[in-house]
Amino acid sequence: MSGPLADLRVVELCDELGQYAGKLLADMGADVVKLEPPDGSEARRVGPFVNDEPGPNRSLTFWYHNTNKRSVTLDLDGSEADRERARALIARADVFLEALPPGRAAALGLGYGALAAANPALIHCALTPFGQDGPWAGYRVTDLVALAAGGPMNMNGYDPADAPGAPPIHGKGDQAFNTAAHYAVMGILTALAARDVSGEGQYIDCSMHEALSSSTEVGLPHWLYAKTNIIRQTGRHAATIRTEPWIHRARDGKDVLVFNIGRSNESWGKLKRWMQSHGFGANFDEPRFDDPMARMAARGGAEAKEIFAEVSRFVAALDAEDVYRGAQACGLPWGTVRSPDETLGDPHLHDRGHFVATAGEGLSGEALMPGAPCVFSATPWELRRPAPRLGEHTDEVLRELADAGATPE
Amino acid sequence: MPLPLAGLRVIDLTWIIAGPTATRFLADFGADVIKVEHEQAVDPIRLGRPLTGGAPTLNNSGFFNYVNRNKRSILLNVRHPFGMDLLKRLIAVSDVVIENFSAGTLASWELDYPQLRELREDIIYCSISGFGHTGRDREHTTWGPTAQALGGLTLTSGLPGKPPAGWGYSYMDHTAGYSAAIAILAALHHRRRTGEGQHLDLSQVEAATVLNGPAILDRTVNGRGWRREGLPPGNRAWQPAVAPHNTYPCRGDDRWIAVAVTSEAEWEALVRAMDEPAWARDARFASNAARLANQDALDERIAAWTADRDDYETMALLQASGVRAAVCQKPGDRVERDPQFAARGWWRTLPHADMGETTHDGVAPRLSATPGSLRTASPRIGEHTREILSEALGLTEAEIDEYAETGVFM
Repeated sequence: MSGPLADLRVVELCDELGQYAGKLLADMGADVVKLEPPDGSEARRVGPFVNDEPGPNRSLTFWYHNTNKRSVTLDLDGSEADRERARALIARADVFLEALPPGRAAALGLGYGALAAANPALIHCALTPFGQDGPWAGYRVTDLVALAAGGPMNMNGYDPADAPGAPPIHGKGDQAFNTAAHYAVMGILTALAARDVSGEGQYIDCSMHEALSSSTEVGLPHWLYAKTNIIRQTGRHAATIRTEPWIHRARDGKDVLVFNIGRSNESWGKLKRWMQSHGFGANFDEPRFDDPMARMAARGGAEAKEIFAEVSRFVAALDAEDVYRGAQACGLPWGTVRSPDETLGDPHLHDRGHFVATAGEGLSGEALMPGAPCVFSATPWELRRPAPRLGEHTDEVLRELADAGATPE
Repeated sequence: MPLPLAGLRVIDLTWIIAGPTATRFLADFGADVIKVEHEQAVDPIRLGRPLTGGAPTLNNSGFFNYVNRNKRSILLNVRHPFGMDLLKRLIAVSDVVIENFSAGTLASWELDYPQLRELREDIIYCSISGFGHTGRDREHTTWGPTAQALGGLTLTSGLPGKPPAGWGYSYMDHTAGYSAAIAILAALHHRRRTGEGQHLDLSQVEAATVLNGPAILDRTVNGRGWRREGLPPGNRAWQPAVAPHNTYPCRGDDRWIAVAVTSEAEWEALVRAMDEPAWARDARFASNAARLANQDALDERIAAWTADRDDYETMALLQASGVRAAVCQKPGDRVERDPQFAARGWWRTLPHADMGETTHDGVAPRLSATPGSLRTASPRIGEHTREILSEALGLTEAEIDEYAETGVFM
């Protein structure tokens, strides 16, 4: 094992909420033992499935979020002996990561007080929708509901001209769960920094609601300093006033993100020459376009409007990838609006070995999926094993417990 | 109580949002984050709205204050040979260097990873760039929205048949920042065990693609791409496929409640909460499969029930009934109305020399033994130049005065 956390033992008790945190730790080398009920984690019932046939080992969502983990089935609700086994595993662990409703861990005999008495160095991270206390502590969520409450969703939506009366829009991919997982892992690794010095563990109350509310960029400052609620706009930043559109359709029907036009004189000059070489922007040489302020969309000036309208016509005459690459050559941060799977076609990502091959039930051979979120030079990210089959490691892990003389009475 | 990252010195060469988000987390937990600034190339967020009092002064941006609390600022003209020399001396006594320039910029300063290691053998160097420091497109640049578009996130947010709604903020600036903080903290653990530092090469686009694993596997395993009829599905569910799962209008202007039913028990709870309307017993809504097939009719009826109702009361009623639901909260709602934030003492204030009392997020997550804290508001530009040089490099007042005359602190 080569990851930066190769010395860490983690016990994970998570479904859709929290499983990505366990994955991040496991992918950085930690030995993550996932405790599941005998019929499997709820997350195993989330599609898409291999060939659309449900089955505990066929969920692609589960495959992705449980790489490098070991699966142990224990009947924590029904068996005191299994609860004892869980306590024995956690007594030998560095981290206990759980996403149970507040109070549930204690009811199972897995409360922090009892666990810490047996293992004072334990870092116990409890990830919940709203935190351990407060009037909403018992409230339940899905990814949609969490993004609504936490605020990110209210930033996403449409100009009335595009979709009159449209609600805030839920971006897909379980991003509320992902953000919560990032906070859980940041908290665990910060507690680890403290423990590396003091030897003492601690309890982490990780609220998804607090994580999400901390992740809405300029939304809160506009309220905190100007008592203004920003307005939603199609495919671009929510703002206090309506700004020029950023999403423009290319010749091949794909959309391109077009923004930061002419922020610098250098990139403006290059953009102008590129457009003019295709027969667009003939009047951009007029001196009134020379002022960067006049070109700034946020100022709402006449020149900015003219530029955006001409750029839109220009984009419509080219294919999306050609717009993207041409703009980047001008130093402009434009990009193709790709579908998740279209990223597989980007040769740059393959240059970096970003996609890795995994395997699983019902799949002949291997299939690619994203790998490292960050490239570590000394302790590389590694796919050591695909997501575990349900209970695949129960015997192995319990045998390790016995070998360590730690099997409960 | 002790701060868990106390004693960790971070040279912060980042700007805008992604890098500063990473260092905000480290600073909240006690790292000494030294923001290196230059008056000729200021962090654009220092000019970012909202501002207190008319014109920008570099020290009156509420946005900057929100992202840069707990940090210190040093003015250093790195284009001046003395400025570069001081930066190198600071790096030599630091644990982490973080930057989010385009790939190649630090190398052009002769500060690539091998050169940084000559200054400090076990340095942890984190670069956040659009595409990473290797690969054919490494010189391409991104802002948050670019990474969202190229990484596949923008397209997953939208109503069917409409252009992408995307993410109305730089989700990937936050997330690249979190990914960088995670990498730095993991690398620090490795360094404490082995003494070895390393280069953390974070690509903002890759930090986005990893957030779409299941959709990518659906292509590589099942041959099915995301561009197809019915996707994106607006606020209806993609996976797990359940219904109802949507936003519904409530009383007032632009008020919405999100409701998601994930089981038959929750459906029954919703029907009871709505006072058992006759339509709910229609065969078209008798199972999840039936509800999925009849979502237009289902959503229309639920919307008719919510339309004249108060959003927060409806949220409370539904949650008390066992139905997952929440108001789509606006920024002002979170600050003024959210009872959960109020009960947990989430909003905190810090005095700022130019802006007065300023309000901030609390610190998440909550560590019981070594919690993070809010200690100082964002620094005025160059506020800590002298104290940093004195503390970190042991320069005397006279020496600092000499440097000042050369024009290096600007």
